[in-house]
Amino acid sequence: MNEVNTKHVYPEDPSKTYGLMELVKGTKPTVGLQPDDMVFTWPHLLVRELTLFVVVVAVLLVLAFLFNAPLEELANPNHPPNPAKAPWYFLGLQELVSYSAVIGGVMIPTLIVLGLALVPFVDRKRTGIGVWFAKERSLANGLFLTFLILMLVLIIVGMFFRGPNWGFVIPWESAQ
Amino acid sequence: MNDSTQNARPAPRNRLAEFGNHIYRSLFRYGRVPQDAEGQSYAVFNSLFLHIHPVKVSRHSLRFGYTLGLGVIATALFLVLTFTGIWLMFYYFPSASEAYNRMLDLRSAVDFGFVLRNVHKWGAELMVLVVILHMARVFFTGAYKPPREFNWLVGILLLLLTLGLSFTGYLLPWDQLAFWAITVGTSIAGYAPVLGPPLRRFLLGGDVVGQEALVRFYVLHVVILPGLLSIFLAVHFWRIRKDGGLSHPDDNDIPPKGGGR
Repeated sequence: MNEVNTKHVYPEDPSKTYGLMELVKGTKPTVGLQPDDMVFTWPHLLVRELTLFVVVVAVLLVLAFLFNAPLEELANPNHPPNPAKAPWYFLGLQELVSYSAVIGGVMIPTLIVLGLALVPFVDRKRTGIGVWFAKERSLANGLFLTFLILMLVLIIVGMFFRGPNWGFVIPWESAQ
Repeated sequence: MNDSTQNARPAPRNRLAEFGNHIYRSLFRYGRVPQDAEGQSYAVFNSLFLHIHPVKVSRHSLRFGYTLGLGVIATALFLVLTFTGIWLMFYYFPSASEAYNRMLDLRSAVDFGFVLRNVHKWGAELMVLVVILHMARVFFTGAYKPPREFNWLVGILLLLLTLGLSFTGYLLPWDQLAFWAITVGTSIAGYAPVLGPPLRRFLLGGDVVGQEALVRFYVLHVVILPGLLSIFLAVHFWRIRKDGGLSHPDDNDIPPKGGGR
């Protein structure tokens, strides 16, 4: 097993004195062990994993009975729908491509992947690990949140606000 | 422990019980439901399916509010998709003239075919979403920081493979939605200078989406991409253990070490 870092679990405060307070009965040798926050995988982790798995299967079954997967007419290369839309996770790209094919379709996606890959090699300070939205990391978190929101906005625009010839439409007006 | 428990067992009343016990012991070396620390340890590292876990994990990594269970959910979705995907392969045929009929069959002729297809479809959409959310969780908790830089890279690769799986699967029903979404999607690839057009032709096996593209997407979807994803998923899990479990507040301010941990 890997080493367990216990430096914060059992800190030694020079201003305090330490003494033997209690003897406890146990079923395993604990000589030289410091208190740690480790628990056994069996059952603690396994029960959680199995529960989550069952929940995932249940949610999928409910979705499957409530909503049918879309199936349109047989593919027909002579009848393009207007507009033809990419799958939802590529709609942001399609929206960018509508402004500039090379910048939106090639350069920006390449930069996104390269940028994401470089993240841990640029941001190397070992602070703010292990907590959500650590104060020391507000700049990095802010940048990433902005990036996510930007992508989401592009996808929403591509999904709902684009009509024939990729023109701008207001979804609740065109529906009538 | 094995010897002592076997000695402690009362002498078998008959040969059948002994035989049954022999079979059980050959399958599960240690006990039934583990009761003590030793048994709990053996339960994990004596099982092929459990030994990707460490024997002990930190309490912090079990907090649902910390991980939101997103990695486990993504894995569960991948398992469900593999299962339903293989099941669907019994009914599917990657032919431009036949594929769409098989979709109609799933709705009418195959018992619970619609459930099978719906679970696969919604599971796939959810998997893309959950993998992206998992990446966001890792970012917002600073979990990509040393020593976990490499696992962040593996994660990016897994995200790209997930997108590739979803995209290649999108074409297989061979309806209008599939055909034109892939036409639009692959035309984006064609915009890249120099490499774009050859890449697009390589993906489609021609200049337009047709029979060749369907076979290529099918092979990518059911063999190549799931195979790659399984391999890198194993690397991803392996690295979690090698990097000392999930990220933890205790990882702050540890001086970087040379070599692996």
